[in-house]
Amino acid sequence: MTMAARWIETITGSLDDKKRWRAYKARVRQLPPSYRTAVEGVERYLMYTGPADGEHLVQMVDDLADLFERAAADGTPVRSIVGEDPVEFVETFKSNYGLSSFLRKEQRRLNDAMERAEKEGKQP
Amino acid sequence: MGKQATEMLKGTLEGIVLAILAGRSAYGYEITAWLRDQGFTDIAEGTIYALLVRIEQRGLVDVEKVPSAKGPPRKVYSLNAQGSEYLNEFWGTWSFLSERIEQLRQQITDTQGNGE
Repeated sequence: MTMAARWIETITGSLDDKKRWRAYKARVRQLPPSYRTAVEGVERYLMYTGPADGEHLVQMVDDLADLFERAAADGTPVRSIVGEDPVEFVETFKSNYGLSSFLRKEQRRLNDAMERAEKEGKQP
Repeated sequence: MGKQATEMLKGTLEGIVLAILAGRSAYGYEITAWLRDQGFTDIAEGTIYALLVRIEQRGLVDVEKVPSAKGPPRKVYSLNAQGSEYLNEFWGTWSFLSERIEQLRQQITDTQGNGE
């Protein structure tokens, strides 16, 4: 990678991730309308709650597109893919790709607080 | 399938899927269909897929892309050596858990029997 490209990426995020994101969007546009609606619903939820880093996010939406493309080809109804509780499905799915930076920070804080509490308990 | 059954199944689903794959290689749709046939009717295909992604990431299965007559290639999963090891561990844990729960039920049934 050239110096210039590296410099740009530190500001804008990985160019490779951007390319993969655009490829994913193109795949979604090819899906039948109901599958597309479902994928876009999941995508929106991931934007707010998903992993913060681009690499994990693009990996996740790639895997998501694989699932819905296959299901569309098999004629599996959307409800059979996402189940009665779509939030639970997405949460299970999401847990494979690491935490959002916000959640990671808060979990570290929680652990730190408990360690402090333990130390305080040991003091006479 | 009731809410309780769904909740209970969650913790064991990984072991169940690995056990199915120990018998033969399969793709996601086949695994979901098999589970539905066995009475696990509430299983979402996406849940099984999420689980397959996880066991792939952890190196418990080997994945092969097989061309399909219609649509994108299918990902066929098969259990590898590390997966077999993990499955053995699952059976050990399962035995422990089911024995203890059965013991608990026996104790309670006995106590109730004496009380009458």
